[in-house]
Amino acid sequence: MPSLKIDHERCTECRMCYIVCREIDINAVYVALEPLHRIEIDLQKCTYPGCTACLMYCPAEGSIVEVESGRSMVPPPPEAWQEA
Amino acid sequence: MPDLPGKALARELIEKSRSESRATPVEEVIQAICGDGLDDGAAHRLIGRLWTLERMFYYIYGGWGQGLEINDFPPSIKYLFSKQIVDESTHEMLYLDALLRKGFAATQKDAFRHPSGCFVMDSALAYYVFSLRNLATYPHPIRIAALNLGPKVLELAWMEGLTKAIADPDLKGVFESQFVENRSHINMGRRIVEEFVTKPVEAELCRWACAVAKRDYGRFLGELSAFVLGHEAPAPPAPRRQVTD
Repeated sequence: MPSLKIDHERCTECRMCYIVCREIDINAVYVALEPLHRIEIDLQKCTYPGCTACLMYCPAEGSIVEVESGRSMVPPPPEAWQEA
Repeated sequence: MPDLPGKALARELIEKSRSESRATPVEEVIQAICGDGLDDGAAHRLIGRLWTLERMFYYIYGGWGQGLEINDFPPSIKYLFSKQIVDESTHEMLYLDALLRKGFAATQKDAFRHPSGCFVMDSALAYYVFSLRNLATYPHPIRIAALNLGPKVLELAWMEGLTKAIADPDLKGVFESQFVENRSHINMGRRIVEEFVTKPVEAELCRWACAVAKRDYGRFLGELSAFVLGHEAPAPPAPRRQVTD
């Protein structure tokens, strides 16, 4: 199953993904307890590709990367909203 | 994903600011704290004056916000800006909370009236505030480049140095708890410049605005250091000129 991670070179640490993930009660996005307190994704909790809410709301497109392919992810097309 | 158009400019501005970041007048305060510690009077002057600057960001961002129109930028840019406003407000409250908790001021009204906390028009602080507010008429990416890739980079560096030097865990926490947001503001600035500064003329404006903001912030820091250490304040930024109709 593909999974997601944060590209810290692109991420603005605005925490929108954290807020969205928490809002829909998946809670996969968390603030890491390292000195920089950066955003990370808990692969055990993340339901990607079932859920793509963080991709839809991220204001810095390309900050979330698919681990397996290394692709920078962009928001899914609007149809994805309607199908869901 | 292809590289964003303003990537090289963002890197250039950040690296230039980083190279200047440990040469600000606050280094004198850090040295003094390393030597003799920070007494209550100096701590009050430091927190009070930083609180005064933070309060003024409501005024600066108010002006900038008026320059954002419907559909001129994607909602993501406006979200990042609103996040920055909230963060700045949090920092303002952190400073006020420290003033009250440490007993430097009994009430919020006292904090506003005290010389450490009142806003003075004829000061380097006011000069810096008006300098930033003046950027309200420039496109959003340019003013964000000026602040987030200029003074914010300097601020993060001196704040890290200051935090290391301060022994009082309460005061240490006041500064330490701002690191995450300050780093985020630099990252937001980087992103906005990378994505929206596309033309050479805009890049030149970013360089100019960033240099002006850092110059005026440096003057504020000079005034702050002198105030905290009880030295004579540096000369005013420009000779006063009588303006008549």
